[in-house]
Amino acid sequence: MLKFIIPTIMLMPLTWLSKNNLIWINSTTHSLLISFTSLLLLTQSNDNNLNYSLTFFSDPLSTPLLILTMWLLPLMLMASQSHLLKEPLARKKLYITMLITLQVFLIMTFTATELILFYIMFEATLVPTLIIITRWGNQTERLNAGLYFLFYTLLGSLPLLVALTYLQNTTGTLNFLLMQYWTQPLSTSWSNTFMWLACMMAFMVKMPLYGLHLWLPKAHVEAPIAGSMVLAAVLLKLGGYGMLRITPMLNPLTEHMAYPFLMLSLWGMIMTSSICLRQTDLKSLIAYSSISHMALVITAILIQTPWSYMGATTLMIAHGLTSSMLFCLANSNYERIHSRTMILARGLQIFLPLMATWWLLASLTNLALPPTINLIGELFVMMSMFSWSNLTIILMGTNIVITTLYSLYMLITTQYGKHTYHVNNLTPSFTREHTLMALHIIPLLLLSLNPKIILGPLY
Amino acid sequence: MLRRALRLGLGPGLLGRGLGTHREGSTLAWDGKVSEIKKKIQSILPGGAWSPLCDTSHLPPEHSDVVIVGGGVLGLSVAYWLKRLEKQQGAIRVLVVERDHTYSQASTVLSVGGIRQQFSLPENIQLSLFSVEFLRNINEYLAVVDDPPLDLQFNPSGYLFLASEEGATIMENNVKVQRKQGGYVGSWGQTSDVKEEGAKVCLMSPEQLQKKFPWINTEGVALASYGLENEGWFDPWCLLQGLRRKVQSMGVLFCHGEVTRFVSSSNHMETTSGEKVTLRRIHEVHVKVDRSQEYQPVECAIVVIAAGAWSGQIAELAGIGKGPPGTLQGTRLPVEPRKRYVYLWHCPQGPGLEAPLVADPSGAYFRREGLGNNYLGGYSPTEEEEPDPGNLEVDHDFFQEKVWPHLARRVPAFETLKVRRAWAGYYDYNTFDQNGVVGPHPLVVNMYFATGFSGHGLQQAPAVGRAVAEVMLEGRFQTIDLSPFLFSRFYLGEKAQEHCII
Repeated sequence: MLKFIIPTIMLMPLTWLSKNNLIWINSTTHSLLISFTSLLLLTQSNDNNLNYSLTFFSDPLSTPLLILTMWLLPLMLMASQSHLLKEPLARKKLYITMLITLQVFLIMTFTATELILFYIMFEATLVPTLIIITRWGNQTERLNAGLYFLFYTLLGSLPLLVALTYLQNTTGTLNFLLMQYWTQPLSTSWSNTFMWLACMMAFMVKMPLYGLHLWLPKAHVEAPIAGSMVLAAVLLKLGGYGMLRITPMLNPLTEHMAYPFLMLSLWGMIMTSSICLRQTDLKSLIAYSSISHMALVITAILIQTPWSYMGATTLMIAHGLTSSMLFCLANSNYERIHSRTMILARGLQIFLPLMATWWLLASLTNLALPPTINLIGELFVMMSMFSWSNLTIILMGTNIVITTLYSLYMLITTQYGKHTYHVNNLTPSFTREHTLMALHIIPLLLLSLNPKIILGPLY
Repeated sequence: MLRRALRLGLGPGLLGRGLGTHREGSTLAWDGKVSEIKKKIQSILPGGAWSPLCDTSHLPPEHSDVVIVGGGVLGLSVAYWLKRLEKQQGAIRVLVVERDHTYSQASTVLSVGGIRQQFSLPENIQLSLFSVEFLRNINEYLAVVDDPPLDLQFNPSGYLFLASEEGATIMENNVKVQRKQGGYVGSWGQTSDVKEEGAKVCLMSPEQLQKKFPWINTEGVALASYGLENEGWFDPWCLLQGLRRKVQSMGVLFCHGEVTRFVSSSNHMETTSGEKVTLRRIHEVHVKVDRSQEYQPVECAIVVIAAGAWSGQIAELAGIGKGPPGTLQGTRLPVEPRKRYVYLWHCPQGPGLEAPLVADPSGAYFRREGLGNNYLGGYSPTEEEEPDPGNLEVDHDFFQEKVWPHLARRVPAFETLKVRRAWAGYYDYNTFDQNGVVGPHPLVVNMYFATGFSGHGLQQAPAVGRAVAEVMLEGRFQTIDLSPFLFSRFYLGEKAQEHCII
């Protein structure tokens, strides 16, 4: 694993010591090269995890997430070039350094063997993200957004620290590989209930669960584009990844404790999808759609069947790429019109036809069109939820319909219809933007040819 | 949680200083201190606007979707209709930038306040028709919860235009056009397939005129047109305050400042016929705070110029008119301030309560003001005698030499009158054709105009606001087609001129 971490750390001196006109090119190219090396992790020689050392390992669950994380860094750098043009040089380098630090922490989170290392890195990812949101965001509300983001996640994860220390004391180890075989079944006592809650709440806040989701629209909307991308694509999946790692140790208590969260997620899916239909701010719409998709992942993880686990992992990767692409598209709109309100920028297909193609593809993948991996994820989750309880099909079916509605609403409002007068002279799309969209959508479409690499460890 | 508790604490139970002053003696200072501490804590917690480093509450926000330059009746009308026509509540953020919150030099409040439909251009007639319908139902349009209803003091006494021999044919044609205007003007509470009658104007011969208004001297008058309905005068200050109140309740932000700079970017493009054009787009508006050098760059998507008499200067800031003359780039916005005097006099034997706003063929006009035999009036000077628009000083000799003779000739009772007061106000005078400029600019893509109405802006403000809001939101005029009033007519040379007698 050091073969990823050390080059990523070395990206920092690369940024600071490059010549002025080469910082973007250098950092983007080198991070792209590093991301290609992450594909090596896909070859797993046996059913056990691919162990690199006592500290790092990777298995078919963390591998796709790791590849997604490393793939996203060059994309984030490409997306940020435009809004950082006017900044002084040191600030540009600082921004890139923040992204690289975040990347290092994320790699270490996804590959940590010890749960304490996982926890430390989990919390450490908050710091560069907070800096990015509050320093480089666009509106004054970003301070509020940063505070919400920080405190929601911190307060959620403090009990996790306590629970992990307790587990270390009782089990003697927090090494994930050993924990799988060493845990005792938890009975339904009060202290076990609290321990279950302590373990899960951090990840519930991160996902986010419907009742604890208030930080997400604020943080996503106020963050600059790279912040939004990494938040939507990777940081939310940290919660899912954590839940998938921790639930094997919490059996069989999960069957009893999961009910309220299942209900919240099922209801929250529909609620947040409906809110999307009433949104006027484009980024806010995409943020709420993220909550809706992640609610599906939460329900899948909580019912703990093989199909649902496969659906959850697929959905995480698919949503990561789709949401990140939608944020990039919204940002390309914002850079031209300087407003995020949807009704002020309509009928753009006439002016930016190729961007309209990317909008179409992103909206189609967002509404889970077959045969994309979004559909595979949603379908697996739906089927496993149906077998868990027949009635959930009503709620999930409603959610799918409303998801389609708001994805098409977003597409139609921004692309089709009569354009307003003040979009007449939009600067044509840059090649950089087209590359960005292509690099998002090509992995997404290619994965539909071979989805088994993202189906997770239970495939 | 803490914040909610604090807010409940600052609720009706403890109104802080307000209630504290009603209590006696020793508890007074303590309650005040407690409420101040609570206010400080509440502002520090997340969500408060206080920042320990520097207080920016007097500055406008850093970002706004629409910036309206000018907070007079036209600017507020555009803001009102934008908020009214947006598809969902709170969709668009609007900022109104007004330099002078006392409106001491604004044309709106210094106006005589008349409204008429007797124009010659159909668009002007339709604008006034909708505006008077807006004014009649103003308490349905501008209702704010818990605020008293507005009393516009609308006097529907009508306008009386007098025409000499030469102007009689023009007046007849105009009246025909006025009567024809009708159709759906989008009024409140009317069904869409009811065809509205046009303007109700009646033509009178000198004999009929003498019989109806015995105080008029009909010498030199060949024809008169008298508006029977929907014409008269009202209180412009009341309309302004009503709009301001309503617009603030709908969420529009007000900013006390002056626009000093537009930051824009240009795109060199080619038309389909191969000509090169440079389209510009405004990214930021720099708003300077009053009496200080501090300014705030407001990032915006759309700018609306409704700055009245100073619209020409604002347009120049945006680079409109900077180019070789004769090209579209070199076409300036031809709106400049022109000073007009209004005199208030008392005449005990003057016309009674039925007196309309009388417009003499010479250009002098007067109307009744109040119930005590006071009258307001004025006269538009010719081009050569235009007063200097540098200040709003009143020239009383102008009344003696220019206005009084015409008044005395037309109404013999005015030979004995005493001027009580006078003031001066600006017309946002469109030197091209004295009609408004509405709609987008062809080259500066996200700039819209709502200015240049040369003296009849107040009466058309509600309708113009709606038209501009429609162009901004839908891309075209939907209810009243104001294409003759677009900016491009200055370049194409198509004058939308009023064939009126004044």
